[in-house]
Amino acid sequence: MANTAVPEVRPDIEHDEKAKPESAKDPGYVVICWNDPVNLMDYVTHVFQTVFAWQRPKAEFHMKQVHNLGKSVLVRESLEKAEHYVHQLQKYSLHATMERDE
Amino acid sequence: MKFLRVEKERYFFHLAHREKALLEFLMRLYPVIPSAHQTLSKSSTPDESQKLLNEALAEQRRENKQLVDKLLNDDRRFQETTKGIEMNLSAGEIEWVLQVLNDVRVGNWILLGSPEEHPRFDPEAADAPYVVAMGLASNFQMDLLDAIKHQ
Repeated sequence: MANTAVPEVRPDIEHDEKAKPESAKDPGYVVICWNDPVNLMDYVTHVFQTVFAWQRPKAEFHMKQVHNLGKSVLVRESLEKAEHYVHQLQKYSLHATMERDE
Repeated sequence: MKFLRVEKERYFFHLAHREKALLEFLMRLYPVIPSAHQTLSKSSTPDESQKLLNEALAEQRRENKQLVDKLLNDDRRFQETTKGIEMNLSAGEIEWVLQVLNDVRVGNWILLGSPEEHPRFDPEAADAPYVVAMGLASNFQMDLLDAIKHQ
C-alpha cells in the first residue's frame, strides 16, 4: 500500500484507512464459489466454516447453493479482502473467483 | 483409517500398514494441480493481482510440500501398535493434510480431462491410476472430516 507514511504524524488505524485508495476500501467486490463435479460437499462445507468462521448451517446453505445453482456469492468485500478470501479458498483447491459487483 | 480419539489437542487415527502406505503414496504425489491453474477473476484480464495470487499459491505449495516430507519422516507421528499404526495430527496439521489430499484429488480429475460425470474405473484403461488416486484421496479426506466434525 503506497503513501501511508507521513512524517510527524503518528500513524493509527484511522489514518491508514484514509490513506488507502478508494478502490481498496470499496466493498464492491463479490467472492464467488463455482460448482465443479470434483470437490466433496462435506469438504466444501468445512472450507467455508474454516475460511469465513461460519457456523455449519450457514456454510451448508452456501455449499448447497453452489451445488444446486452452480455458484454462490459468499461475501461482498473490498478489493483487498476479496483477494484474501479468494486466495484462502484456492489454497483448498476450490473454484473461487472475485468479480466486480455490478 | 479409523478415528480413535482426541488427546491433548491431537487427533489419533488407526491405520493398517497398507493404508499408511497408500496415504504416504498419495501425499508424495503432491502437488498435482498445474501451477497457475487458478484464476483470480473470470471477467477481468490477468494483471498484477493475478501474478501475486500465483506467487502466493506457489509459496503455499512449497510450504505444504516441505510439511509433507517432514510429517512422513517423523516417526513420532506414526507409532507401531499390535494392530497396525497409530497416526496423530494436530487440528492445524489436519487442515493442510486436507489441502494436500484435495490437491491430489482435483489434480487427478484435471489429468482425466475434468469430466462432468464421475469417471468410471476401468482397470485396463491408461487413466486408471488417476481414477484410483481420486477415490483414495476422497476416502482419507472423509475420514479426517468426520473426525473433526464430531469434536
